[in-house]
Amino acid sequence: MSWLAHLFPTCQEMSRLLSDTMDRRLPWHVRMRIRIHLRMCEVCKGYHHQLILLRSLLRRSPAQHSKQGSTRQAGLSAEAKERIRRALDSSHS
Amino acid sequence: MRESFGNMGDVTGFDSQRWIDEHGDALYRFALVRVRDANAAEDLVQETFLAALQGARRESGEAAERRWMIGIIKHKIVDHFRRMAREPLREDHPANLPAADGDFIADGHWNPEGAAIHGWPDKPDELLERKQFWDTLAVCLDKLPPRTAQVFTLREMDEMDTDEICRLLCLTHTNLGVMLYRARKQLRNCLSVHYFGQAEEGTPL
Repeated sequence: MSWLAHLFPTCQEMSRLLSDTMDRRLPWHVRMRIRIHLRMCEVCKGYHHQLILLRSLLRRSPAQHSKQGSTRQAGLSAEAKERIRRALDSSHS
Repeated sequence: MRESFGNMGDVTGFDSQRWIDEHGDALYRFALVRVRDANAAEDLVQETFLAALQGARRESGEAAERRWMIGIIKHKIVDHFRRMAREPLREDHPANLPAADGDFIADGHWNPEGAAIHGWPDKPDELLERKQFWDTLAVCLDKLPPRTAQVFTLREMDEMDTDEICRLLCLTHTNLGVMLYRARKQLRNCLSVHYFGQAEEGTPL
């Protein structure tokens, strides 16, 4: 049965393979197995879509996270600004 | 307090206060989401300004200035990660796939109790403007182990290729693959539970 197991990755193995596809081009026979599994498995298909969605969200704009005002990440404190200003001025003069 | 406008009329036209007002908060948030340490993020902003002061910039305009500074702070962040890489953290020492993974049942199928695929939109557009989504994402990123979060942000936010990450942070491709795999799955689970699954489960953060 081992050839069969090799041919049909489990969902757990698929989750790792799908992560790898986000980073590099896998050999064609692995890509083929992935494609076959995805055609049969809704959860893995959904998971693949989630990974792609997550990436496109995170990459939308490098400044995305600095623009989206989050209360937890308000900005530099007044003290930090003053400290940085002094460091800049003393380095510049 | 020293008069900051003293520098306004000099030959380079440098005004530290303007830089800080225009770019300080944005650079700070850019760094904070990646290094997740307020003190380190403040230092990175200062280092970035100091480096910017040394460099000559050809383009003008606020947007170009911002891009230029973001470019500098990206390098500063990688340097920061490299300094941290010298102090290995045991918590996310990369190993092979853990034998027990709550997301899967014994035969390797997805755990039906686990985070589901439902509730996620088809396209990213509708999420981009939702402040609550970005807040949840930030909380979920915070929950990743530190080194895992570093490689994940370099890869997914900053689009660095895996060869580069391995070289900069002295990782093997196998280790990096495991860390990215875990980061993606954990982040997906966290968002499924705390954001997309809220309608059914209402799990507070």
